[in-house]
Amino acid sequence: MKVGSRLSAVVLAALLLLSSCRTAGPQTAAIFAMDTVMDFTVYGGAQTLADAEARVRELETLFSVTSEESELSALNRSGGGTVSAETAALIPAALALCERTGGALDITVYPVVRAWGFTAGEHRVPSGEELAALSAAVDYRGVSVKGNAVTLAQGAEIDLGGVAKGYTADRLTEQLRAAGVESALLNLGGNVQAIGKKPNGDDWRVAIRDPQSESNVAVLAVSNRAVVTSGGYERFFERDGVTYHHIIDPATGCPAKSGLLSVTVVAESGLLADALSTALYVMGLDRAAEHWRAYRDFEAVFVDENGTIFLTEGLQSRFTPVSRGAAVEVIRL
Amino acid sequence: MKTRSWILIFAVLLAVCSVLTAILFARRPSGTVANIYRDGVCVYSVDLSAVEEPFEFTLTDERGSNTVRVERGRIRVTDADCPDRVCVSAGWVGENGSAPVVCLPHRLVIRVEKSAKADGGIDAVAR
Repeated sequence: MKVGSRLSAVVLAALLLLSSCRTAGPQTAAIFAMDTVMDFTVYGGAQTLADAEARVRELETLFSVTSEESELSALNRSGGGTVSAETAALIPAALALCERTGGALDITVYPVVRAWGFTAGEHRVPSGEELAALSAAVDYRGVSVKGNAVTLAQGAEIDLGGVAKGYTADRLTEQLRAAGVESALLNLGGNVQAIGKKPNGDDWRVAIRDPQSESNVAVLAVSNRAVVTSGGYERFFERDGVTYHHIIDPATGCPAKSGLLSVTVVAESGLLADALSTALYVMGLDRAAEHWRAYRDFEAVFVDENGTIFLTEGLQSRFTPVSRGAAVEVIRL
Repeated sequence: MKTRSWILIFAVLLAVCSVLTAILFARRPSGTVANIYRDGVCVYSVDLSAVEEPFEFTLTDERGSNTVRVERGRIRVTDADCPDRVCVSAGWVGENGSAPVVCLPHRLVIRVEKSAKADGGIDAVAR
């Protein structure tokens, strides 16, 4: 071997050493998408992260209800039409969850949400007559899907905001796993998806935000699970001393008053966790507990108006309250 | 070239690599730091543990402005001209592991970050 090639071999070895210093850590990205900030931490190559970001952009252009150019906006304007395979897969899945929750989740509640100004941020309190007129068109059973053809009932519009991030998290999880990623944490604006465990073998530690303060109420240790919280404490407005939050009860057309401040759902499927966190918040503690007993395919943490924390028994070993003084009750079968 | 020189070159490169790594780690601040990001780029960093007197400043660009208040150990948005003012109602953030303050219309994010995550640290906040 010549001196030159030896030297270059040494340099190459050193470069490899340097680059291995780099890739030992995770790849991270913060992305503005789907009306929120997403934080991705992926233990794997840079390309897997770039592919994940591209997938988010692709799904966003399909599902966004506030973007005029999205496929969903076109569907809402025309009342029916042919949609992409992705949208044609999500809508029936979302409808099944509307059915499962007895309409506590309803993807056709969008015109009511818009009347309250929660879509554009220009908040107002609609009159009783206005709500009654809009609520008449709210019924997920009026949406029919045949293949890629979707038809909406007269005056109905759909919003996939309550399920799109969960669905996206599931698709990203599939994509990352297929690319060989064994450890990643995806935070889609508070919808957390834990893939595998941390590289050191520990569970991911996901905190639940305290709805009454700026700190956290508890920490959940999870792996291969979605953790999604719904609460009325982040998006709300005040008029004449009354607080109106953004989770609309499809039955009343008004912000849900169920006695709960937040609901956190832990499930394997991000879509299920996303949909149920909203639906269980609307249902209230008693109906939510019954739903858990009937299905057992998820676990949940509830914070009620007194600040009491309720958790389903499957989470007991994974749950650590942040404050020792907090009242904690276990929901059993 | 003799094996000895070969080893020498390798040793020198190894030393350079370790020194670089040490410098990279040493440059990270040790206290609780609030990083303010605009469009994902960090535009402002405040070492919250080193704040003596509380202060306020306003970040403005073509999308609008956010007024930020800093006190020892914590930071918040006190005023903003965005429509929903979610950033203002987010309140104070301080300890490492709190959810970030986000102003979507202005593409502004305030994160409280720590270089070395202590044991029992939090990886994400569901909210």
